[in-house]
Amino acid sequence: MTEINPNEKYEHLAKLEDIVITCISCGDCREAIDYTAEPKKEGVCVVWEQTPGFEPFFSRGKMQIIRSLWQDKLELSMDMAKVIYQCTTCNACADACSYDMDNSALYEALRAELVDANYALEGHVQMNKAMVELLNPYNRDNVLKGEWLKELNFEIKEATKEKCEILYYVGCTAALTEEIRTVAINTAKVLKELSVDFSVLGENEVCCGSVAMRTGDRNAFNSVAIKNYELFKKSGAKTIITSCAGCYRTLKVDYAEYMEELGIEILHSIELIKNVIEEKNIELKDLGFKTTYHDPCHTGRHIGLYEEPREILNNITKLIEMKNIKNNAKCCGAGGGVKKEFPELSMEIAKSRIREAEATGADYLVSICPFCFRNLSDAIKDLNSDLKMIDLLELINQAL
Amino acid sequence: MSKIEKAFNEIEKIVSSEYITDKDFMKAAYSRNVDPAFPDRWADMIVRPKNTEEISEIVKIANKFKIDMVPRGGGADLVGGSVTEGGILLDLTRLNKIIEIHERDFYCEVQCGITWGKLLSELFKRDLTTGIVGPGSGYSATIGGGLSNSTAGFGSTKYGLITDNCLGVEVVLPNPQGSIIKTGAAANKYANPFCRYGVSPDFTGLFMGDVGTMGIKTKAFLRIYPNPPIKVLRNYILNKNDFDLVADLMFRVQNEVRDGIQDLYINPLVVVRLLASIAEKKPKKRAKLTGPVFMFILEAFDERIMEVYKEKIDNIMLKNDRARLFEWMDIDENEVSSEEWTFKLKFPYSYFNKFVALAPPKISCTTCHKLPISKIAEKRNFSSQFDVKHKDEFPDQSFSLFARSIHLLPNGHCVVAGGFNAENVDSQRDIAMNIWHKKVRAQVRYGGVHYWLGEAISQSLVEADAYTPEFIAFFKDMKKTVDPNFLLSPNKFHLYNFQDNITKYIVKDAE
Repeated sequence: MTEINPNEKYEHLAKLEDIVITCISCGDCREAIDYTAEPKKEGVCVVWEQTPGFEPFFSRGKMQIIRSLWQDKLELSMDMAKVIYQCTTCNACADACSYDMDNSALYEALRAELVDANYALEGHVQMNKAMVELLNPYNRDNVLKGEWLKELNFEIKEATKEKCEILYYVGCTAALTEEIRTVAINTAKVLKELSVDFSVLGENEVCCGSVAMRTGDRNAFNSVAIKNYELFKKSGAKTIITSCAGCYRTLKVDYAEYMEELGIEILHSIELIKNVIEEKNIELKDLGFKTTYHDPCHTGRHIGLYEEPREILNNITKLIEMKNIKNNAKCCGAGGGVKKEFPELSMEIAKSRIREAEATGADYLVSICPFCFRNLSDAIKDLNSDLKMIDLLELINQAL
Repeated sequence: MSKIEKAFNEIEKIVSSEYITDKDFMKAAYSRNVDPAFPDRWADMIVRPKNTEEISEIVKIANKFKIDMVPRGGGADLVGGSVTEGGILLDLTRLNKIIEIHERDFYCEVQCGITWGKLLSELFKRDLTTGIVGPGSGYSATIGGGLSNSTAGFGSTKYGLITDNCLGVEVVLPNPQGSIIKTGAAANKYANPFCRYGVSPDFTGLFMGDVGTMGIKTKAFLRIYPNPPIKVLRNYILNKNDFDLVADLMFRVQNEVRDGIQDLYINPLVVVRLLASIAEKKPKKRAKLTGPVFMFILEAFDERIMEVYKEKIDNIMLKNDRARLFEWMDIDENEVSSEEWTFKLKFPYSYFNKFVALAPPKISCTTCHKLPISKIAEKRNFSSQFDVKHKDEFPDQSFSLFARSIHLLPNGHCVVAGGFNAENVDSQRDIAMNIWHKKVRAQVRYGGVHYWLGEAISQSLVEADAYTPEFIAFFKDMKKTVDPNFLLSPNKFHLYNFQDNITKYIVKDAE
């Protein structure tokens, strides 16, 4: 038997040796329920809660699997892939851990090993293929990314034709999903109302590659990342804003080296808009609604953006918090390729979150991520809930 | 078809295909706990039953095919407790419900797979507590695991071990009938499980600290207490590094204050220095570290009473220049002051993690054991001498501690939580195992009493020749009564079968 050292055969995992070795297998990543925590914690792993719950369904079991791979006691397999991909990469496990570890990075690396060994799941293969070939994972003609612009009664600069310091990167979900276009439309309207000079890429916008990175297809990710690098470089942007949590994390973390090289700052649209509202001392209307706020994992645990949306929501509505918020917020269930390959699991996780939101008595469930929007909306429909899903940008547009 | 395959098929019919697996990657995921000193071990199958009845059926099948079984709670074990090479591993974390909290009668009924964090979170909402808040791994460790290991934890100074607070259990006996029994008051089928004694001999005790050898605990009936709302952290550093003084002060606080002390946790000087050296934010002015730090958690229902407790503790600790008040901020500015400190579960539940993975690639071989207060200084010297005498037998660069901490228990004894570490590599695993068993045998022979036994410690007890022949016969008879085929956790105590003469495992060490 070999020792537990990084096995060079697994090149993606070998780079993350520290994480594997640091894990002491205490299991805090499973549930860690804590009424005394601030904010309170009613659990950790949403997948563990909704699946048969064997160890590989949460973080500790995956760590052990990686150790066994390193020891050559175990081989990658399709059976393994089917469980490893049942993870939304929400990183609640990392937050629960006493050590400073990025667990989701490790699981993305494990998925990269599975992809390299031809154990990618078919739905993800098709999604990433579409992303590479059509530049969006929805298998749609990328020209449709410009459709939402036709619903505006004002013109926006095209980043490929005109340089502009602020680039609004819309993201595939908001640009291509009809019922979620409101996110892009309202973001644009708010920016216009606030007299922010910005550009968009429209039909030339290339997927950020988040779906490929989360599902372990590094080649697909690199393919779009290079294209985006060129587009961003030509755009002359100093700041890229995005209204999608997934794009936000990807551009800010996975593109970090590119962005540093290009001197571009990545902001969520809400960060920029809040700053402008404050700088210009703009008064927002009280909308009189009761709202509750869902922290997207990619803006929350992955980046730490918690307060800005809440400050605005508190200003324009009556914000009633759910039980599990901020770093303890429960995932919507869509991320990490789960919605694509395991829609039922994704739905169950979302329904659990909706029930938590309903318990607040709020009229609206608010978020700042089109993908969370989509999954939570699906759950609202499935539950026949009275709750209404809305993006924060839409509320801000109403409050201006 | 092998007997394992046959058993798998039969168990699958009981729990459904969702909750049983024999896939390799699943077995790998269950091959270790927080116990990397052991080689990883793969069960033949892992089952996640949902209730007592399912477990009873699984036990019947295991007996039919003579397959070993090992119950597993949160998997937070340090001593090889809940892994098995071959056999059926029973993951009991689906049994995670609170059955009832009897607020007016101060007891609760829970399923044994519930975590300490979950149970306490519910109790705290009602201003109740289990007293001892479970082991250091309480976010993942289960009530059942705590009872099987008779664990101590924060709160043990006042409330005792977890097992001291157990009023009875529901157990599936590992016999061919898969018998389900209840102990304590619950053995009276007309009674609620509100007390432990008075119905039969104390059969609850048979399952306390049994490391999963005598039965599979499915429900527990536990004492609960009103949770005193006022909790204060108060630290003192001794002005000299004197274990006789440590023992004297433990006696005095127990003798003169007692009820107010929820917990007394003593960090030896070597540990305080270690903590200072790894502090995230070291103060510009280095603290003068002169002796062990006594960390008291005091609790009271009334501020006036708390003031009395503080005054009495101050009188004992500060008198004759024995100690001075201490703040952890003095060695790490990221720590909160005792003034700002409030009790959160994260405090006890994350306290030990930094020591388990002080150097993460290291393995932990724990030698935690209980001693009478009066013996601490003497046994510390013995332990030091042992380490020096056997220094060549420890793994390379091993770091051995008599006490990582000393934890005062309700009467005149304490838990000395210590151990040593080694590289987590196969080439040193046997070396670590050998000296680990040897050191535990030495502790057994000097009269130390362990609490979590798991595989490593329970075997070392047998190897140390701790038991008289009469006791061995009694123990085996008891085991045979509940487990005639010796299928449950067979590695513990070297109890592989009834015929086996366990005295053959005795190791004669040259002391």
